[in-house]
Amino acid sequence: MEIEIQITVQPLAAGHGLPDKFSGNAGAFAEFSGIVRALENGQKIAALEYEAYSPMAENEMRRILETLAEKFPCLAARVSHRTGIIPVGETAIYIGVTAKHRAEAFALLAGFMDRLKQDVPIWKRCSLTPEEFAASAMARN
Amino acid sequence: MRVLFFAQTRDATGTAELEMKISGSLGVKEIWRALIAAQPKLAAFRGSTRLARNGEYADSETKFSDTDEVALIPPVSGG
Repeated sequence: MEIEIQITVQPLAAGHGLPDKFSGNAGAFAEFSGIVRALENGQKIAALEYEAYSPMAENEMRRILETLAEKFPCLAARVSHRTGIIPVGETAIYIGVTAKHRAEAFALLAGFMDRLKQDVPIWKRCSLTPEEFAASAMARN
Repeated sequence: MRVLFFAQTRDATGTAELEMKISGSLGVKEIWRALIAAQPKLAAFRGSTRLARNGEYADSETKFSDTDEVALIPPVSGG
């Protein structure tokens, strides 16, 4: 399985679609985006801040995908996780899975998200209220 | 030995990393003992925080040496 992993502070694209190279061979392309919601623990927020131990997080994500692919063979998986301050409505994580059949694509995608939340050293550090987010945006500009 | 702190452990210690000198080859229990001696506030995290050695989770068989990079990994919450 081809694996592409990225941890970045840059905004993530909404979706990537089926990689051209698999056109004709793939029968399924499943993608998932985890998006920051406006409520965190019942409180209205404007953004979340994530941090990562990037080298280990990339290795763990690759290891998880390789392990899952033994049970659910897929053609390719592409994962991007954003870190830093992520405003409400923007994507924190994206995964796109290419496979010959939908069952493997769904299973690998769901299994990956479960394992990510157990083992990958990435942390949701804090939520920013609208006032805090505005202040942080001013500080960045 | 380079020690990296993340998330709550960084908040507690007030630092992202420190250098710690160790002799010989130490297991997880001995590393925790040395870490808590250097940063007593880490005692509160011992039950919930995993150690990583050179980017891989440590287990009961893992041995650490002075040239290793150790990371403290509190419960993760990505995605």
